[in-house]
Amino acid sequence: MVNDMTDDTILQLRKTFLFSGLPEDVLSVLSKSIVHRRLSKDEILFRKGDAGDSLFMIGSGWVKIVTEDGLGSQLTLNQCGPGEAVGEMSLFDQAPRSAGVVALSDVTLLELKQDALLKLLDQRPDVALLVIRGISSRLRGSTTYIEKAIEWSKKMAEGDFSFIEQSSSGEFLEHATQEDRAKQFLSEFFKMARNVRAREEKLKQQVEKLTLQIDEARRKQEFEELTSSDFYANLKEQAKKLREQRQDKK
Amino acid sequence: MGKIVSIHSFRGGTGKSNTTANLAAQVALRDKRVGVVDTDIQSPGIHVLFGLDEQKMGRTINDYLHGKCSIGDVAFSVGENGTDSLGRSQLAGKKLWLFPSSIKGRDISQILREGYDVNKLNEGLQTLMRELELDYLFIDTHPGLNEETLLSIAISDILLLILRPDNQDFQGTAVTVDIARSLDVPNLLLLVNKAVPGKYDYEDLKAQVENLYGAPLTSILPLNFEIADNASKDLFSLRFPDHEWSQGLRSVAEAVLSVK
Repeated sequence: MVNDMTDDTILQLRKTFLFSGLPEDVLSVLSKSIVHRRLSKDEILFRKGDAGDSLFMIGSGWVKIVTEDGLGSQLTLNQCGPGEAVGEMSLFDQAPRSAGVVALSDVTLLELKQDALLKLLDQRPDVALLVIRGISSRLRGSTTYIEKAIEWSKKMAEGDFSFIEQSSSGEFLEHATQEDRAKQFLSEFFKMARNVRAREEKLKQQVEKLTLQIDEARRKQEFEELTSSDFYANLKEQAKKLREQRQDKK
Repeated sequence: MGKIVSIHSFRGGTGKSNTTANLAAQVALRDKRVGVVDTDIQSPGIHVLFGLDEQKMGRTINDYLHGKCSIGDVAFSVGENGTDSLGRSQLAGKKLWLFPSSIKGRDISQILREGYDVNKLNEGLQTLMRELELDYLFIDTHPGLNEETLLSIAISDILLLILRPDNQDFQGTAVTVDIARSLDVPNLLLLVNKAVPGKYDYEDLKAQVENLYGAPLTSILPLNFEIADNASKDLFSLRFPDHEWSQGLRSVAEAVLSVK
């Protein structure tokens, strides 16, 4: 049972970007420092601004990452499920939690305390290197996405939305996990660009609906002025005769 | 018996002469015998579109009205003499005659001062229809509703009213429609010209116009810089047949031709 639990923990650890590159024996050591926790639906794991010194990996269930908007109402930034991690930044810095986490369902979590990690890194400098390599690789990926976002921003500012049509852009619409915050940002940026373009096109198509306005009193008055002369009466009579004549010829 | 088609707009600047000239040309291209009379004696202009300038201009409607010549003497055969441009060259050999008004200031001021016998104009038009065996006689009228314009309307088989999409034109056209109905004009057609492209909901505009005047709207033609640039040099619909304006104009011609 204990072994099963350890195996399961190792499996979970392997799914996280921080620990996926670590050898089996290290994961085994690390798994001994893991604390298993449970949350019920709507239970709060931590609030934005709380002091934080643990990383949480989700075993089962879903949580939402929340913050507050300017008016104090709750704003959901993202949802995370099995295999994903929250609060990982707190392992290395001392800053308070940047967002809150609330359970969306019953959730099982694997908690790793900062102390336990630092102790391991102390004993195994090679592990430190692997962890740093993992972080570095992710940063490099993030940089690519950020550069992309800069390029798109410049194009959008010039009214050029051609990047939306480029087939390679499609991949940015795929679901991006919490792990890939930069990719997630780019995905949101891409959706925004599409919406902005759609709105612009709709505006261009907006047509003016003319409402024909006739002053009926003026219309009647002008008609009476024009038709009250002898000339008009005569013309009307002549026109009638002319039409009759031409009708006869047909 | 041919048909008299008067083209009129309540205000100036609707593109009336340009439309008249192009319509007449389109009908002549279909091998109809066509006459075009410029009764806009106060401000003639349609002759330019048919390649007629002051040097080439012989007898005019003014000469006829003052008893100096017969109406037949005024005829300028476009198919024989006005085919000097790319568009007009297609009219070579076609039966299309223009009856121009004088562009001499002296003649214009004389007619404005002395007036003329509207009945004589009518007699002349009837003579033309008969002697040239015209299928269609297009009358380019003076804007507004003066006596000669009322005459043109009164003797029309078809009255084509041109308006721009603005309320001043809508108002003036309403009065003209009432006059046309009072004078028993048998066929009333409408044309919206100089519509800013993409600015209006065309379906909605068409429905409103037809509902207001109780007559068919034959086309909504776009306001276009190329037309303005070309207007006085050549017949636009012949020179640029694929242009949106030319295509719309041909539907107007079809509407005129389909009147029984």
